[in-house]
Amino acid sequence: MVRASSILTVFLLAAGAVRAQSSPPADQAGEVRMLLERVQQLEKRVTELEARQASPQAATISAANEPSTQQLPAHQAAQAPAAAGPGPGQHQHETQEQQAATVQQMETHYPSLQIRGFGDVDFSATDQKGIPSGFNLGQLDLHLASALSHKVTYFGEITFNAQPTGYTVEVERNIIRYDYNDYFKLSFGRYHTPVGYWNTAFHHGAWLQTTISRPDMVRFGGTFIPVHFVGFLAEGNIPSGGAGLSYNVGVGNGRGSIISRPGDAGDINNNRAWVANVYSRPRALYGLQLGASVYRDKITLAGRDFREWISGAHIVWTKESPEFLAEFANVNHRAVLTDLSTNSQAFYVQLGYRLPWFERTVKPYYRFEYTHTPLSEQVFTNQDLVGSTLGVRYDITNYAAFKTEYRNFRRGIGEPRVNGWFAQTDFTF
Amino acid sequence: MNATTKRVAMIVWVLSWPLVAMAPSGAQTTRGGADIAVVVHPDTPVSDLSLSDVRKVLLGERQYWSSKLPVVLLIRAPVARERDVVLRVIYQMSEAQFKQYWVAKIFRAEAASPPKIVYSNDMQYELVSAIPGAIAFMDARNVRPGLKVLRVDGYLPGDKEYPLR
Repeated sequence: MVRASSILTVFLLAAGAVRAQSSPPADQAGEVRMLLERVQQLEKRVTELEARQASPQAATISAANEPSTQQLPAHQAAQAPAAAGPGPGQHQHETQEQQAATVQQMETHYPSLQIRGFGDVDFSATDQKGIPSGFNLGQLDLHLASALSHKVTYFGEITFNAQPTGYTVEVERNIIRYDYNDYFKLSFGRYHTPVGYWNTAFHHGAWLQTTISRPDMVRFGGTFIPVHFVGFLAEGNIPSGGAGLSYNVGVGNGRGSIISRPGDAGDINNNRAWVANVYSRPRALYGLQLGASVYRDKITLAGRDFREWISGAHIVWTKESPEFLAEFANVNHRAVLTDLSTNSQAFYVQLGYRLPWFERTVKPYYRFEYTHTPLSEQVFTNQDLVGSTLGVRYDITNYAAFKTEYRNFRRGIGEPRVNGWFAQTDFTF
Repeated sequence: MNATTKRVAMIVWVLSWPLVAMAPSGAQTTRGGADIAVVVHPDTPVSDLSLSDVRKVLLGERQYWSSKLPVVLLIRAPVARERDVVLRVIYQMSEAQFKQYWVAKIFRAEAASPPKIVYSNDMQYELVSAIPGAIAFMDARNVRPGLKVLRVDGYLPGDKEYPLR
């Protein structure tokens, strides 16, 4: 206990130190603020002067909406205001050049590669026998996005994972997408399977999610739902008015010979898996998302075939005051040979609230999760779990956070309850 | 942790919720000033959007005006009043939440790039009038001929019921 307290103290001191370092010196910040205020004053003054000269607001807007009798091509349009205004020829020419340069600079050039990284450092201590406490490096995650044209985009995600003997590198996502319009986008590659909410909302960067850990049903390396998927995916909005419906439909290889992995190098049983996900973001309730998913596959395990049918549903409120996430999935396995069928269920409910104090940097949260696999289950090993997670997230900057959480869980009937304390700093760069 | 400690922690947690719910939200404060016009390139095939449609565009959920014309989002840099209004009324997010939203959006492979940042109304004017599909938000008093001003929920800036102010 004393040891845990000292570690916590060190953690808090480190948090304070980093926060102190992230703020610019007071005099510099003051100077910047003064300059910004000055810019605002000048802008306001220009606006006032323009307003005095010009006609009233409504007339300006109606004039703006009048079709121009001298409509210019797009590349010349930027030069129009300068051309219309009075001024010496030389000055006017320079202004035109500057404007053309601004427009050229802001236009998207192809390919336009953007790289973003995510990382985390963790500490864990539990009373589970045989599990040592200590620090560990989480995942170093690199995300690549590159528009190849205004219709074609590439997305990639690579992780570096610490192992006892070194690091493993994993291609998590590798996607090329063609956008026809908002209603139809077709992509090929390796995805996070669009089953439920968490698996496609948060991916690998721990900074993206409120909590330190993912729910057990969607944990990386887990088997309850197939986290990854190799194939093609069609997605888009569904014209549905206020219902705000969208869809994902995909066909791919399904689970590999190790069922936690997709068939990256080929399908193991010459049978495609398919997935469909429909969700709604109602227009009247900004922040709400409801959805349902189905996933169908044939699994081959030790020479035996099983039909897998996953159905799931989710309801989330994505605003942070409060944040509410709830997801449920049922996995049905039916042995092709014996017709014996089993059903396993899992769900979680997570509640968080970004507090209005401390510049809205603090967000306490709680999650309850439950997984049940029947004794007759033929594909999964026992995954039973009943657990609670209580924690706090503190955003030290816009791009880095500290999190600490207490977990209490029990796996299987008769197993002892496990208590654990976890801490993490995660960031994006 | 014994059972009593657990119970106390749970009670404190439960009791804190009503206090939290009653506290004022920083993102909801109102400020005075001129209306913020939604302006687009003159060739954009829309002239009237509901506020929720504007929100869909800004959230990157609507990325095409038509199958051949992608939306190009322009947003003022921090501190500008136009940005404050857009974040408060449309996104309903704080500055930090807005930044995090776009990092997550790109990370989920739902968009290839965040909105382009513009530093002045002149720059906005130049870009909107030059880039097909561009949409920006500017003080209605600064709107000049050559841009198309969209109606929002059927209202133009200056109308009493206009929502962006």
